Amino acid sequence: MAIKYLKADALPALLEALAKNARVVAPFKRDGVVQFEPWQSGKDVELDVLLAKQSPKEWVFPQCETYLKFGYRMEEPAQGATAGTATGAEGEAIGGEGAAAVAAGAEPAIPHETVEVEALNEAPAQVIFGLRPCDARGFVQMDQVFGGYGGFYFDPLYNSRRAVTTLLAVTCRDPRSTCFCTALGGCPAGQEGVDALFTQVEGGFVVEPLTEKGEAVVGTAGGDLGDATEAQAAEANAVKAEATGKVDVPFALEGIRDHLHDNIDDPGWHDLCMRCISCGTCTYVCPNCYCFSINDELVESEGERYRVWDNCFNPLYTEETSGHNPRAQKSNRFRNRFSHKFWYYPDKYDSLLCTGCGRCIMHCPTRIDIREVLRIMGAAPGAAAERAATTAVTPAATGAPTGAPAPTDGKEA
Amino acid sequence: MSRQDHIREFAAKALTEGRVDYFIGWKQGHNASEVVPAFVKEAAAVDQLVWNELCHHNLVTFLKRNMPDPAGAKIGVCVKGCDSRTLVALLQEELIDRDRLYVVGVPCDGIIDRRRLEKEFADEIVAVSCSDGRVSVATRKGNEKEFAKEEVLLDACTRCRYPNAVYADDVAGPPVPEPDRDGAKPDWSDVAGYESLSDDEKQATLEKVYSACVRCFACIHVCPVCVCWDKCVNRSRQPELVEQKVGTKQKLLFQMIHMFHVAGRCPSCGACDRACPVEIPLYLLHRKMNKEIYDMFGFEPGTKLDEKPVFQLFDVNDRFGD
Repeated sequence: MAIKYLKADALPALLEALAKNARVVAPFKRDGVVQFEPWQSGKDVELDVLLAKQSPKEWVFPQCETYLKFGYRMEEPAQGATAGTATGAEGEAIGGEGAAAVAAGAEPAIPHETVEVEALNEAPAQVIFGLRPCDARGFVQMDQVFGGYGGFYFDPLYNSRRAVTTLLAVTCRDPRSTCFCTALGGCPAGQEGVDALFTQVEGGFVVEPLTEKGEAVVGTAGGDLGDATEAQAAEANAVKAEATGKVDVPFALEGIRDHLHDNIDDPGWHDLCMRCISCGTCTYVCPNCYCFSINDELVESEGERYRVWDNCFNPLYTEETSGHNPRAQKSNRFRNRFSHKFWYYPDKYDSLLCTGCGRCIMHCPTRIDIREVLRIMGAAPGAAAERAATTAVTPAATGAPTGAPAPTDGKEA
Repeated sequence: MSRQDHIREFAAKALTEGRVDYFIGWKQGHNASEVVPAFVKEAAAVDQLVWNELCHHNLVTFLKRNMPDPAGAKIGVCVKGCDSRTLVALLQEELIDRDRLYVVGVPCDGIIDRRRLEKEFADEIVAVSCSDGRVSVATRKGNEKEFAKEEVLLDACTRCRYPNAVYADDVAGPPVPEPDRDGAKPDWSDVAGYESLSDDEKQATLEKVYSACVRCFACIHVCPVCVCWDKCVNRSRQPELVEQKVGTKQKLLFQMIHMFHVAGRCPSCGACDRACPVEIPLYLLHRKMNKEIYDMFGFEPGTKLDEKPVFQLFDVNDRFGD
């Protein structure tokens, strides 16, 4: 696909054009805090700050979404009625409760309770502009769990949004010291999950449409988006290469999965989690921590069922109805986050669950460093203690890279 | 001998003598602009402990319920003046066993507000150092800038009334000069702006700032005097008292519960404010609550070990508002 060039001052016009047919979401600075928000005419997209506080995850997987509304009604027996007519087709398809009400409705001549159920799933077309390649890759990794990997499960809420979302990523010119995408097979100009990649060059952006959705964006832009000159394309390549060179490679990925398994009972987990305060910040800023819980909220006879982000540091996360909690200790919960991302998720879905964006390091109230955790607990048993001692003296990320980029298979590249 | 050396010496001695199982101080984080809590188990490892203007963490957090590991551990801990007040608040309520603690007070000249520095640069801060009242900051792209220390202090530090620990077993070096607390009442000018608003404006302000909340609960987990842990009313499902839904109404309710629950126990150490990933001005709102407590009861939380917490007392002369 042809490489294009967009002048920097033509960006608002492009977003405006895209906003005619879709919700446009981009990073904006408000009160000094950069977050992804719906674009409005006149707002300046913030690209100087590398990473928004939170990833754009919530625009495809909202923190809280109501997906069922239900209401209980007393039904007086209508003449000749044999079934709960109030229950809609969707309700019957979804709810055991709905089905029960229908069965109850078959009982003639007695006032009885029925339940109306309405399924909700709003998925407006949207374009997310200004996310980074690691954010886009986060969606691809998360797709595995929501997207029916191996026919396992297909989440209608997530997928309906994902299908109508176009991801316009911007190459990272200045990776932070907390970035480690290259250690995980990503890169500051990574294309995985990206529909069109924008690379900032002198005076504007070099734009590479990578999918049909990306091509559609180019079509929307019309005359503003001309062909890139060879010099511009070369400059973009230089920007990418320079940025890639700036990313530290703090550990070698190879072996981490097995070693996390082997080190499950290692006392190192205790030492590492001491400064964890067991909040959920790391998971809520993460581009692909996807755990949620489901709640019913009932006020008198009207209720709704919604799902809301949960996190594995929440003491109630694994608490069972009996009161037993298999992860009662902070260290158990702490271990889970890293093991999930680098051991059991890869085992199950053949994909990592981390893109190396480093937000969890930046925003952790006590700056717990996932790279340090992986260096220590992802090391061969026995070596863990040794590495812990080394790390205590040499703080992470100030030293030289400790390993080459890990070999990646086709799925991860 | 620097305060840092004192801390290391006290830690080494306590560990060697078996007075503590582990000692909590501060150490450098992933670069020279970050300091993180350090847990030292062996005297040989005390050299990682640091003391500088970046040591903002209130380590009393790690003494509260469910945090000590193992549960009955004897713990050594460093406290600044504000931190010591949260410790005293916990001791007043008998929520910590004093006999298992070894407390090192660290006289404090003020802590740098790293977030204020971050606002000055688009790229990442990688080094912060301070000497002679000047703060030097370097970024990853090589930008450097210098600030006067008083311009970049935490808000809590600019109005500090307790720069020395109010309770400690040992003190790391000579105390810093105490302000004249009897002569001067607390300076509440920082909450004047909020107080001047009408009720509707206050409501709108609260809704605006709290709408950013992501309910990660970092504020309550990091709060040293917020001790309900997994029994927190905000997460309880049985009964479900606060909706788990993430709307402005629910966020406001959650934060209001936190604020009222720590009223009279919170000395505005600001740990919640610094932990919040979306930078909600929690410090300011807790200050407002503290002003109410002060105006009604003349009470400053966590300042006297032999005092009862204000809400555990009844005095016929208490004034409940106007």
